[in-house]
Amino acid sequence: MSQAMAAQAETPGLDRLSLSQRMELQFEIEQFLYAEAAMIDGREYRTWLDLWTEDCSYWMPIRRTVTLSDIEQEFTKPGDMSFYDDDKNSLTMRIAKMESGSAWSEDPPSRTRHIVANVRILRITGNETAVEVAFILYRSRLNTEENMWVGRRVDKIRRVGDDLKLCGREIYLDQTLIRATNLSTLF
Amino acid sequence: MDLERKPGETPSKSEICSYFDPSDGTLDRRVFSDQALYDLELKNIYARAWNFMCHESQIPNIGDYFITYIGEDQVIVVRDKQGEVQVLLNTCRHRGNALCRAEQGNAKSFVCSYHGWNYDLNGDLIGVPGLSSYYRKDFDKSQWGLAKAAQVDHLHGFYFATLDPDTPPLYDYLGEVGRIGLGMLVANGPVEVVNGVQKNVIDCNWKIAVDNLFDWYHVQYSHASAGISGILDIASILHPNNQMVMFGEYGHAISGPVIPQERQAEIDALSDEEKFAVTVAKMTEDPNRLPQPLRMSFAKDMLGPTGVRCMGHPNIFPNLWVSTGGTQLSLRLPRGPFETEIWWFTVLPKAMPEEMKKKQVAFTTHLFGPAGLLEQDDGENWSQSTRTSRGVVSRGYRHNLAMGLGQDEVLYDERGAARVETAISEHAQRWLYTNWMNWLTADSWDEIKANNPALPKGRV
Repeated sequence: MSQAMAAQAETPGLDRLSLSQRMELQFEIEQFLYAEAAMIDGREYRTWLDLWTEDCSYWMPIRRTVTLSDIEQEFTKPGDMSFYDDDKNSLTMRIAKMESGSAWSEDPPSRTRHIVANVRILRITGNETAVEVAFILYRSRLNTEENMWVGRRVDKIRRVGDDLKLCGREIYLDQTLIRATNLSTLF
Repeated sequence: MDLERKPGETPSKSEICSYFDPSDGTLDRRVFSDQALYDLELKNIYARAWNFMCHESQIPNIGDYFITYIGEDQVIVVRDKQGEVQVLLNTCRHRGNALCRAEQGNAKSFVCSYHGWNYDLNGDLIGVPGLSSYYRKDFDKSQWGLAKAAQVDHLHGFYFATLDPDTPPLYDYLGEVGRIGLGMLVANGPVEVVNGVQKNVIDCNWKIAVDNLFDWYHVQYSHASAGISGILDIASILHPNNQMVMFGEYGHAISGPVIPQERQAEIDALSDEEKFAVTVAKMTEDPNRLPQPLRMSFAKDMLGPTGVRCMGHPNIFPNLWVSTGGTQLSLRLPRGPFETEIWWFTVLPKAMPEEMKKKQVAFTTHLFGPAGLLEQDDGENWSQSTRTSRGVVSRGYRHNLAMGLGQDEVLYDERGAARVETAISEHAQRWLYTNWMNWLTADSWDEIKANNPALPKGRV
């Protein structure tokens, strides 16, 4: 089953919305994600952290180059090793590190730009909406270092009162070997 | 002395011997930037040493393979039909194409995507398309099997390979210090590698990534922000005045904290059940942090009276770091003088309770790997130290690795392990570069052995 077909097959709740309701939701979600990206690029890390629910998860598995016959090994799975396997507690530690005044990997700070596109609402479950996006994260560091990470994200966005909050993020990079000194930026 | 050689010309032995001066601990920066020297390292070090391949748990079934490197030579580590681990050069004997283009997987045989030459899991050439019609049978398949490592062996399931038939057996090559290094990984029972090897590339010379693992001096400054983040209490892991450096043959060394004799005696008085209870209680105390598990009583016999107290960082020469506490392995793979791939393997005792495994996996992910709160800050130090070695004026200034020089007395235990017990020092870095010069100036294993620096005695 293709990714697109899979997305359509798991959209309970979504098909009950009218076209204009779906457009409104799409607009709201997109604006939320753009604002979130701007917070990271604008180095407003504490504000960004506040977007995350207390029970959130933030995960980037390891991707491997494998043959088609071994394609089920392409990504590591929950419980395996990963690049990020965070909850609110460890995300908070990342922000505390950034604010410490001695996080040398980000001082001088990197210049980052998050491009978020191809936003597709996958499903609505209760007060949570699962959204798939394609992203480009560009980082310019010191005078000559450049990184570009490209991939797919599945974000879970929860309505809490009048606000939207992030409660989950799965980050699937298109690169296997990470061609960068570190991953000291936020995805 | 500036570069007087023509570009590409191999450095002479006398030039190599000038790079590091053990008498004052100074190091010539060209060791981080010279292409001809780098080429010599691939030939004289990587092609002669035992290189870490993978752990047996990564390739449990027939046909399972893992791709890794000996220097820049790519190899296939595969379990063949007899269940033996083979290490094959990943290059077709016909036109040199890579047989495996994946990082890992399972194969029935290795078929080249160029012309379809087919090799058995043990490297034998078993199929050549057009053998009768194009080669007209004028072809001896038995002469064109894959090139193989000269020797393959393992200790505790950690597989190594060497391309040189004259390399001493793995057990002897590791010696007491190398065996302690690997033994630290199994000090709480048989282990398996957690699925997933983290890999990234840093713009640095491989040696600076290697010598940094001995360096407990940088921890409090480079990694200050990790301490502030709350992931670990740097002061509590550093033990700046309870440090030990162990000197091993061929350049192996261990550097870092040591359990004081009197504390070890208290640990020895506990039963294994009591030790385990202490570890679990500490884990419950602070959910953010993971304590070093107390080593089980069998570990004392395996590691010896010095090794069992060792909490430092071993390096199996040339490039395999056993991370503190024995939960991870990190390879520093050379990719030219200015680039190094860093690979992280996470190792856990098979019998560890699932909850503890989960915690350990999360903790190691938060600490090390490119996104690790600790490791994030290493790469730029190494890449900038490498970059500034290129300046024609900058490179005239030698690095200073003199910390603790002439300050410490070498002690020997009954198993012949040489050590100093001291404050934070650069003894291990000096030992590394002293041995590195011996490897580079030797033309064969006979010469490496003949001129092998003797384990230090007296004052160092």
